[in-house]
Amino acid sequence: MGTYILRRLIQTILVITIVSYVCYYLMTLMPGDPVELMIQSNPRITSEDITRLRELYGLDQPAYQRYFNWVKSIATGDLGYSRTYRVPVEELMGPRLKNTFALSFLALLFSISVALPLGIYSGLKPGSRVDYFVNFFSFGGISIPSFWLGLMLIIIFAVQFPILPAGGTETIGVDHVSTWAFLKDRALYLILPIVSLSIQQIGVFVRYIRSSMMEAMRNDFIRTAKAKGLARSVVIWKHGFRNALIPLITIFALSFSGLFSGAILTETVFSYQGVGKLVYDSIMQNDYNVAMISFIISVSMVLMMNLVADILYGFADPRISYT
Amino acid sequence: MSIALKTLLPVSISLMLMAPAQAKVTNAELKIGISQEFETMNPLISTMVASTYLRYMVNRRLTNLNDKNQWVAQIAKEIPTLENGQAKIMTENGKKKIVTNWEIRENVKWGDGTPVTCADIIFTRKVAMSNNTSVGERETYEQIEKIDVDPKNPKRCTLTYNKAIWNYAHQLGTFYILPKHIEEAVFEKYKDQKEGYEKNSNYSKKPTMPGLYNGPYVVSELKLGDHITMVPNKHFYGDAPKIQKIIVKLIANTGTLEANLRSGTVDKISVLGLTFDQAIALEKKLKTEKADFKVEFEPSAVYEHIDLNLDNPILKDIAVRKALATAIDKDQLVKSLFEGKQPSAIHFMTKNDPWYTDDPKSITTYRYSKRQAIKMLEEAGWKAGPDGYRVKDGKKLSLTFMTTAGNKIREAVQVYLQNQWKQVGVEVVIKNEPGRIFFGETAKKRKFDMAMYAWVSTTEKNPRSTQHSEMIPTEKNGWSGQNQPGWRNARMDKLIEDMDLEFNSKKRGELAAEMLKLYTADLPVLPLYYRTDNAVIPNNLKNFKIPGHQFSETNAVEYWTLE
Repeated sequence: MGTYILRRLIQTILVITIVSYVCYYLMTLMPGDPVELMIQSNPRITSEDITRLRELYGLDQPAYQRYFNWVKSIATGDLGYSRTYRVPVEELMGPRLKNTFALSFLALLFSISVALPLGIYSGLKPGSRVDYFVNFFSFGGISIPSFWLGLMLIIIFAVQFPILPAGGTETIGVDHVSTWAFLKDRALYLILPIVSLSIQQIGVFVRYIRSSMMEAMRNDFIRTAKAKGLARSVVIWKHGFRNALIPLITIFALSFSGLFSGAILTETVFSYQGVGKLVYDSIMQNDYNVAMISFIISVSMVLMMNLVADILYGFADPRISYT
Repeated sequence: MSIALKTLLPVSISLMLMAPAQAKVTNAELKIGISQEFETMNPLISTMVASTYLRYMVNRRLTNLNDKNQWVAQIAKEIPTLENGQAKIMTENGKKKIVTNWEIRENVKWGDGTPVTCADIIFTRKVAMSNNTSVGERETYEQIEKIDVDPKNPKRCTLTYNKAIWNYAHQLGTFYILPKHIEEAVFEKYKDQKEGYEKNSNYSKKPTMPGLYNGPYVVSELKLGDHITMVPNKHFYGDAPKIQKIIVKLIANTGTLEANLRSGTVDKISVLGLTFDQAIALEKKLKTEKADFKVEFEPSAVYEHIDLNLDNPILKDIAVRKALATAIDKDQLVKSLFEGKQPSAIHFMTKNDPWYTDDPKSITTYRYSKRQAIKMLEEAGWKAGPDGYRVKDGKKLSLTFMTTAGNKIREAVQVYLQNQWKQVGVEVVIKNEPGRIFFGETAKKRKFDMAMYAWVSTTEKNPRSTQHSEMIPTEKNGWSGQNQPGWRNARMDKLIEDMDLEFNSKKRGELAAEMLKLYTADLPVLPLYYRTDNAVIPNNLKNFKIPGHQFSETNAVEYWTLE
């Protein structure tokens, strides 16, 4: 197992390096660069200004050289400087990554907590009233556009019945007297975004869990277990659910890999200070340093969670081994 | 998605129509919503429009453009002129230069009580001129050849310009002064590193230091991408601000921004908030409900126009350009699409500009006439073909029409114009691109027939960047310059060059009049309309005015009061 993990980690680093160069190179192919954005906003910029700025930003160098300079600065712990916001990348992204993680993790946790019992119950009782009810809401959740749901939640819970804040990350200008007061304040701002983000996720998870559970419960060994006179809970959890887990591990692992990527629509609708919109804007404005760090985080998370999923397969199914 | 939108939006709109009760806003706190991102508060480095909006609340300059479109002294005692004897033209080594005497008002101080002096002006110029600082345009600083401080009065100095320009007061309207006593140590330490100063500037590291600001407010809290809080500057030289706390909150989604206004999360939406069509819709809704806020509109200095590529064989013909202009019913366009709130444009100057004229004796105007447009095309040899479109020498009168994709207003204008031009036999093929590609590649490299976008028309502005032939973007000049139509007119070039050096305001007016005459006669551009700024303000907000020029409403923030 140790050798397997080590081999996968080396592969991961190699993939990150290749993907990061490809991303960097593709970004340089996009029309416009930070200097061109300045030209558009200021008609008085002269050709001398353009030459000076390109040299200052290193844009006069070939892409591979700029990439190596970037790697060198990353290796020294300097994540670079955002040319859009004019602040160091770590100062810009650090707090937003934490906010995005809090939102995505809690939404995912909430989604799994709700979807798991509903999906299993539906899978065990297909065609029942509960199953129809769960299916109806699952499809509803999947179909509702998240931006519309977000806006509706704001109108209902912040405008018509003002019990929750309309948007933001925390109450502005308040010095919290205790950690509890701080957490309570942050929690209030998280409720609507979490609900908005979870509705869709719950729908998707319920559908996967239901079908996976139904398939597992149709296996011959389930019939055998029942024939042996095993308790219903043992049949469901030890034999049924464990076998249904394999596809679910993949789904959950991939969902966890997006924890730091940000939910751009939800974050934008709720003015939540996350990383989603920042990443979008950085790509659109050729803010290379910010965009590259977010690429690296996304790629690393996908690769790491895939590795975690591969390891978890072994625990869920003893037939899978990595020796 | 579109079906969902069609069915769900009416429900949301009807819910939106129900307005909840709101508490009255007072001078204790005003929360302003904006939908555009802002960056560092370093006035030398920042370029975003939203940053400029915020900057006027915390920074003041030597000169300013007031709401009557007049240049006035801001932190300076007066504007030096040849008439008041504080400016004089001298000749050095055969070159004419202008020398101007400036004096900063006695009580102008930074937020920590340190007086603002000429040493700050010298320091700012030094930082701006460093090759390691990413100041976009350096002309404002470069033109100042030297600054001599009066040894008896550190607030008095003489600025010598490297040529005799008349618009030095205009240029100093964007000369933002840095506090030497705070920023010099940072600059000296990092000046040899690329972007070293801006990375380590106190505006980035400690933006809540009061000494960084000299305006009516100082920053008390700043979270990029979220909000900025400002409180009155105790050492402000002017009238003490009435509002005790201003929070500017970024809400990027304009639908959410409106919901936040209704929930009381924000009290006011700035000119950088709602789109024009949203503001119109909100104004209509407010007529049927009792709300504590209202929508204000004011024509701005931004004018929408269509650049005609003069290298295109069809558009090279002045008769075709004139026919295109004559075929547009602009009055109907602004009435049907903008409810008359965005005024039509006849050239590049706004009505507030002292040089503006609509006198048909001075300029060529193009009154809508379908018949006249058809006649012009017929005379130019473009005959009607079997499909209704005109043909000449076997070639169809077909042009591509481009703008930024996804901009609803521009797309509606395109469809309107496409229909009008079709009626005179001109085929217009709409081909839009995302803003990034449109501005970054297509417009810049002049790969279009007709391109619609906007320019800011500032008061008494020499149109060098958009109309001088040297400003045609080419690979050789690094695609700089904004003369995208590729207009070459020797007389216009001469007028532009003469204007820079003309000190007689009457003569400058005459030069501007001739420019307008050439511009409207040659038609390198089809002017369409002036955009209108909008803001949603609490009913009890007094002394608020959208200025309608390049400087934003926050320039007079100290006078705002909620009664």
